[in-house]
Amino acid sequence: MIEKAGTDENSDSAEGPLQKKADSRVLLADNERLKKALIDVLDTLPSIIARIDREGRVDLVNRQLELFSGVSAAEAFGVLLESLIPHFTPQLRQVAEAIDRQNPISFAKIQYCSGTDVLYFSMHVYPLRNENSGMAVIRIDDITEHVRIEESMIQSEKMMMVGGLAAGMAHEINNPLGAIMQHAQNIERRVSLTIPANSKAAEEVGVSLDQVRAYLEKRNIFEFLEHIRTAGSRAAEIVTNMLKFSRRGHSRIETVVLASVLDQVLALAATDYDMKKLYDFRHIELVREYSADTLRVAMNVSEMEHALLNILKNAAQAISEAAVANPRITVRTLSVDGMAAIEVEDNGPGMDETIRLRIFDPFFSTKEIGVGIGLGLSVTYAIVTREHHGTIEAWSQPGVGSRFTIKIPLHRRNG
Amino acid sequence: MNKSEVSILIVDDDEIVRESMGAFLEDEGFIIHFADSGEEALENIAFLRPVVCISDMRLAGISGEAFIVQAYSVCPATGYLLHTGMAYSPSPELRALGMTQEDVFQKPITHFSVLINRIAAIASTGRMEYSAC
Ligand SMILES: Nc1ncnc2c1ncn2[C@@H]1O[C@H](COP(=O)(O)OP(=O)(O)O)[C@@H](O)[C@H]1O
Ligand SMILES: [Mg+2]
Repeated sequence: MIEKAGTDENSDSAEGPLQKKADSRVLLADNERLKKALIDVLDTLPSIIARIDREGRVDLVNRQLELFSGVSAAEAFGVLLESLIPHFTPQLRQVAEAIDRQNPISFAKIQYCSGTDVLYFSMHVYPLRNENSGMAVIRIDDITEHVRIEESMIQSEKMMMVGGLAAGMAHEINNPLGAIMQHAQNIERRVSLTIPANSKAAEEVGVSLDQVRAYLEKRNIFEFLEHIRTAGSRAAEIVTNMLKFSRRGHSRIETVVLASVLDQVLALAATDYDMKKLYDFRHIELVREYSADTLRVAMNVSEMEHALLNILKNAAQAISEAAVANPRITVRTLSVDGMAAIEVEDNGPGMDETIRLRIFDPFFSTKEIGVGIGLGLSVTYAIVTREHHGTIEAWSQPGVGSRFTIKIPLHRRNG
Repeated sequence: MNKSEVSILIVDDDEIVRESMGAFLEDEGFIIHFADSGEEALENIAFLRPVVCISDMRLAGISGEAFIVQAYSVCPATGYLLHTGMAYSPSPELRALGMTQEDVFQKPITHFSVLINRIAAIASTGRMEYSAC
């Protein structure tokens, strides 16, 4: 992890032409020139770099640090680094110890909220070992992209695992489930008045079908049968959802206006029965910010609707649980870098980072049993990434709200 | 369509699935035959000449897919349906026989009317004349 810059002198090429050339350059270079070269190097690197003393006072910063902090190198001189980049204070407070021990330290993943964006940084502290010991070089890198890729790879792996399990299980579970549901139906029909064989069989044992039905009615048997059927449907839906993690292809792709898909989903959400039980959508202020309202996108419409509905349901649930004063859900369409983006934002309770990292996991839920089983967002994830080659990200701040951003490519890759 | 003239062959290696499906279709008024493997069904299909054959996908011997391809060569007039626990789309071989997604029923069936409608549609088209085998 730690780079050992400058420790391995290339002794084997000491007499090569390159070395000679370099020697002559150094000879030529005057102080000014060296200084300029050093600054060039520091400013060209994408890292944020500073040199500080044991107290944390700056004596050198590069261009990236100037840009990041908004303070010029001249102004920064002698100032405490933590006042320039206050977000990194907890890490910077450990620099003195690193200097004392002469041990480099690293911080792998520092979260940084800039406006509504979440960025990730790594930080390395290298104590100097020459006559300037007592100082350290700080290197900070924006690793946001790297973290995102890593997160989505881990996520895909989890999906594949659950998908594989589901595919193996589906057959075994669906057979008995099929029989349960079919037989519930069969029982209902074997006491119905419309099938002639029923009255005949009843007669044979000396009762009338009406009597049989009256008894069953009195003992709530019909209600029980109905419950067997709904419970069976619920179980079947879970299996169907899990199968989404493994299935690929064969999807019906249509090119549709993105904004109208969103409108359709909002209409669905307002009438969805499960949703009404949770929250009356009419109490939520719906804000539509369609900056790309004519944008047409190729997608599997019913799957994408399903994906969005899962997000809206969560938003409504979160808002209602937290009893937010002015509940609001904002939906946006945007077009960025060849991608169509859909955003769903709520002003609900939000979630902390430990929860946010797990929300796309199959079966992760913070809700009570019966309210949520944790398949909503993982199904959404599978639909967006596997079926649409898109990405989905969640931003959240506890007490402020949550935002989900789906991006799908405007031009589908071939093959 | 006179249902009592429409015979249906159910191929499934799971007895409770066979029975529950059979009882349901029987109550609908159809004539039901059973087979617990593709092999057994192939032995009898030329003789039974079902109007509709509903087969499971994963069977102990040959798969439902392979069974249908072979059965078709014996009984091309029969309408074949797949009843499967997996998400499934008809393979190119089955599509070549005229099967579509509408002929695939995912277990568990929650809307039985869809199945009945499909059977009725097959029974009422000329190609599915039950004596045409
Ligand atoms: N808009 C939101 N606000 C706050 N928390 C959310 C939001 N959306 C999702 N979550 C969190 O993510 C978890 C997983 O969501 P989901 O996969 O839909 O499963 P479920 O809704 O069944 O719990 C939820 O239990 C909740 O903790
Ligand atoms: Mg949910």
